[in-house]
Amino acid sequence: MPTVTVDGQEIELGDDERLNGIQVARRAGVEIPHYCWHAGLTVVASCRMCLVESGRKDRESGEISMIPKLVPACQTPAADGTVFVTNSEKVKSARSMVEEDLLIRHPIDCPVCDKAGECSLQDYHFQHGQGQRRADIKPFTSRRRPMGDTVTLFVDRCVMCTRCVRFTREISGTSELMVINRGDHEEIDVFPGFPLDNKMSGNVVDLCPVGALGDKDFLYSQRVWFMKQHDHVCAGCSTGCSIHVEENHDHVYRLKPRENPHINHWWMCDEGRYGYKHIHDPGRVTQPTRRDETGEMVSADWSDLNQRIDSSLRSGLDNGGLDNGGLENGGLDNGGLRDNGKLAAVLSPYLTVEEAYLLSDYIRGLDPDAALVLGPIPIEGTDETYPGNFTIRAEKCPNRNGVEAVISALSGRLLTFDEFLDQISDGSCGGVWITGGYKTDWISDEQAMKLAKIPTIVLQEMFASPLSDHASYRLGALTFAEREGSYVNVGDRLQSFRWAIRPPAGVMPDGQLYWQLSGRAGMFQAAEVLAEVADSIPYFHAAAGEIPDVGVDLKITRLASVEG
Amino acid sequence: MPTKATVLTDEMISEIEKYFNRYPSRQAVTLPALHVVNEHLRHVPLQAVVEIAELLELAPAEVQDTLSFYGFFKQDKPHGETRAWVCRSISCALRGGEEVLDHMCSRLGIQPGETTADGKLTLEFGECLGGCDFAPCMLAGGDLHMDLDTASADAFLDDLGVTSENQPPD
Amino acid sequence: MSDFEPVLLANIDKPDSHTLRVYESAGGYQGLKKVVKKMQPADVTTEVKESNLRGRGGAGFPTGLKWTFLPQDHPGPVYFCLNADESEPGTFNNRILMEEDPHQVIEGVIISCYATRATTAYIYLRYEYPKSYERLESAIKECYDAGYLGKNILGSDFSLDMCVHRGAAAYICGEETGLIESLEGKRAWPRIKPPFPAIEGLFRKPTVVNNVETAACVKHIIDRGSDWFKSIGVAADPDNPRDVGSYGPKLYCLSGHIEKPGCYEAPLGITLQELIDQYGGGVWKGRKAKAAIPGGISMGLLTAEEFDCPLDFTGPGKYQCLGLGTAAVVVLDETVSIVDFLHNSARFFSHESCGQCTPCREGTSWALKMLDRIKAGRGRLTDLDLLLEISDSIGIMPGTTICGLADGAAWPMKNAIRKFRDEFTDYIKRTNPGGYAQTSPAQAMEILSGAH
Repeated sequence: MPTVTVDGQEIELGDDERLNGIQVARRAGVEIPHYCWHAGLTVVASCRMCLVESGRKDRESGEISMIPKLVPACQTPAADGTVFVTNSEKVKSARSMVEEDLLIRHPIDCPVCDKAGECSLQDYHFQHGQGQRRADIKPFTSRRRPMGDTVTLFVDRCVMCTRCVRFTREISGTSELMVINRGDHEEIDVFPGFPLDNKMSGNVVDLCPVGALGDKDFLYSQRVWFMKQHDHVCAGCSTGCSIHVEENHDHVYRLKPRENPHINHWWMCDEGRYGYKHIHDPGRVTQPTRRDETGEMVSADWSDLNQRIDSSLRSGLDNGGLDNGGLENGGLDNGGLRDNGKLAAVLSPYLTVEEAYLLSDYIRGLDPDAALVLGPIPIEGTDETYPGNFTIRAEKCPNRNGVEAVISALSGRLLTFDEFLDQISDGSCGGVWITGGYKTDWISDEQAMKLAKIPTIVLQEMFASPLSDHASYRLGALTFAEREGSYVNVGDRLQSFRWAIRPPAGVMPDGQLYWQLSGRAGMFQAAEVLAEVADSIPYFHAAAGEIPDVGVDLKITRLASVEG
Repeated sequence: MPTKATVLTDEMISEIEKYFNRYPSRQAVTLPALHVVNEHLRHVPLQAVVEIAELLELAPAEVQDTLSFYGFFKQDKPHGETRAWVCRSISCALRGGEEVLDHMCSRLGIQPGETTADGKLTLEFGECLGGCDFAPCMLAGGDLHMDLDTASADAFLDDLGVTSENQPPD
Repeated sequence: MSDFEPVLLANIDKPDSHTLRVYESAGGYQGLKKVVKKMQPADVTTEVKESNLRGRGGAGFPTGLKWTFLPQDHPGPVYFCLNADESEPGTFNNRILMEEDPHQVIEGVIISCYATRATTAYIYLRYEYPKSYERLESAIKECYDAGYLGKNILGSDFSLDMCVHRGAAAYICGEETGLIESLEGKRAWPRIKPPFPAIEGLFRKPTVVNNVETAACVKHIIDRGSDWFKSIGVAADPDNPRDVGSYGPKLYCLSGHIEKPGCYEAPLGITLQELIDQYGGGVWKGRKAKAAIPGGISMGLLTAEEFDCPLDFTGPGKYQCLGLGTAAVVVLDETVSIVDFLHNSARFFSHESCGQCTPCREGTSWALKMLDRIKAGRGRLTDLDLLLEISDSIGIMPGTTICGLADGAAWPMKNAIRKFRDEFTDYIKRTNPGGYAQTSPAQAMEILSGAH
């Protein structure tokens, strides 16, 4: 095992690990300051902030010989016997010189700069900088320059780390960003007529260590120290990027990628990043409503709503009517569904594994032959893979794999939405629970008409749809940020998360609702449900136990699971 | 169907293409291409950058990045028919080079980097032109002019026939 | 005048010295013929190594040794870059070689390519040498016509293509990896090392970058042998195992306040005083010297009392200068203000800094602004300490920058302020009597000139 010494501390590395000085120092609990280095981009070692002393420790004698000059930790490989010193006077002095250098021509913008509170220039100034300014000063505020639809540039705040330029050349492969001029006249710019315009553009703002690149969506909307950061998973497509949801008082201000070497590395696409507006859309269905005896939709009360829904569904099992009045007999003696069941649940690919499992469990509890249907799968375009090995999927939902696996395991077969619509044409379905959570149109007028004949329709949706007027019960649906549980992405990786924000008043979180309906006592415990799922469904076996931040690969057991 | 107006003529394109087999990468033809266009147009307008980029299979930003590094290529409008660099580095400065440049600037009424109103001359400062054996020196019209002083500078300007704000045209 | 028989400048006074006809009549390309017909590439490398030829571009690295860094079993291609970007202020020897005797250089390059198995030689020529461009293009064509370039040179299986690649007025293109980046069509930001060009250079292939004068020396080493080469110059110090000697003839450029500016050839090791007296005709106008640059402005400054400094690879270092550099001597007479000198130097380096790394980009810019302010009569004594702090901290030697431009910016500053401190303090006190003692930051001045 190769051994590296950092500030006197010995760190053992794996035989196959290829780390640089910054990475190995982190293992010793030492954070070497840096601007230009990023694990996902080529090494340029140009900021010179990560300079350290380096040397070798002789294996036999233990004698240490140090190189007389400083070296950038980012370009120095940690090999067996490498010695790093990060806290000597020489190192401190070099660091404070770089920091002072960067502040010389930097505008006095902190009070008006978005980056305040998460800015490397600020942080390093406090940790490593000079106390007094020594250079001449002429206070000024930065010029601003348009980059594209998503990103803006505060030109003079830039420290020339070139991460953004390298990103567009190496990761997105679109090369819109460039450095212009030479020396202290250098600036970042785009070529006129060729703005920053690619589906991963927002990542350059994450990369910028200072407030030069600004996210137009987030600009001036919230100070970072007021926001709480929650580990979460993007619901934009089946890639399932690990993200952070950042909110204050249940209002989401931005999404940021969370590092996951198995899925999205350090990135997320713009559609996912900016795809949270629906959370606070005033058009969201919030207060539940139910159809009364006269056929009017009236407001419903959660104090008795569960019971009403339950009894409506139960009466869908019987011959004849329901207590909803005005609706047609279920027509149950027509030969029935192929499954011989009377009830059905349409499970949206936006549900978590736990939510899908609990709802299925409840419906199958009422009717052991109930049909479990996979909700419509939104597809847009085709999969797009970028040079930095990042793929945006055409399947614009986060948990098709998880929901499918639950359906297949619990019902023995996988029914698609279109197949279901065909089956119910004989009128044999007595009640259906349809979970939505779609932020865009998900059902056509024609499809809604086919469902309209079902006597009891419990509909959870986010926005009005052609089905709204046919629902017996219309409940608000959750957005991803309000869900708790696990998603399984296209690569069969399961990631778990807690809710980041509470849903609007009137919307009952799905997990809690299904938990109660299933007759379980107390509060919804996602982990408990996942454990049950992992135990009973082979596809999920690898999800037993605590789920790490980066998720768990279910593929090990996929080959063994019973499919369809 | 109207064709889009292009800046690169067929002649320029074929001159640029002659460089292709000298290098294993198209990007390496960037500087030669910029020089070709500059020789013809006396500047490299943005549209030319777009066309060069297309020819070299690069993004326009990549070509512009390189172009702007050098400070050599004008982009807004052509430089003068003659472009003259007067050296301002140490050996020439020691022998009066800066004074000669100042003299030329004030005679012509322009600053270094600017072009006379009649379009005849662009005057620039240069960094060590390698003519220290006959400093002060000036690179103009493909020649290194030697032992420059105000008299020979005036003679040079007279030969060119440049007019300026300070001198009415003849 | 010295009675040293010129080697590198032997032909330049002949009419049409730049033509193949004149070159061959003086024995040109005999060396190439010998090499191709009778020597293995490794033999050529050995000969050059044994000569202890050190690069003439400024760094003085042993050339033969550099060639041995190329991987032996690499499938290729291997590239050779001739660094003809000569831009160090005070330097013009490469210009003279290329204008007046380009074949000497070309033959040296072809022999170097034979030794290093390079298949393409790019001559990176600075834009400001149009006559060199003309002469080189013409000489290269003559070579192709004569079979000294192209496929199967002189009937052997050695093939070589050569072409000229013109720069666009940027000093940093003379740094070997800056040159490589520029050749590849990108901005000339020097690369971090490792990997070194011998392993991963031009187009990420093994590459050798050599100076013009170095290539010319290679030709002569092959013609006359490494023993001959070592008979000229200064032997290695036997007590210093790191000293590989300063062998061979050297072109010294002499300019500034001198009676006879020009390029002179002498054995390595001539002192600065000897150069001024025996070649330069003494300080001009009957004046006394105040200081001199020993090897291009990057090397720093010698005081008049230090003119006994031998101009070889180890001499200037003993006088607190950076080294021999390009051996371009620039003389400053007693009327020169060292403040003006340093301002000129700082302006050059700030203009030419590629801008990639923080200490150089910001340090050279800060230094220039301070010197601007000093020259505008608003200098402070603390400025001198700050300038020294900047110049002591930036550079590839302390490890704070990627390339040596910062060291070149730093040395004139260090030398000027340390060796002429009194002149600086007098100047500051005299021009800013009311404010020279201030210590807190002042209001910055507007940017003065519209530099690009």
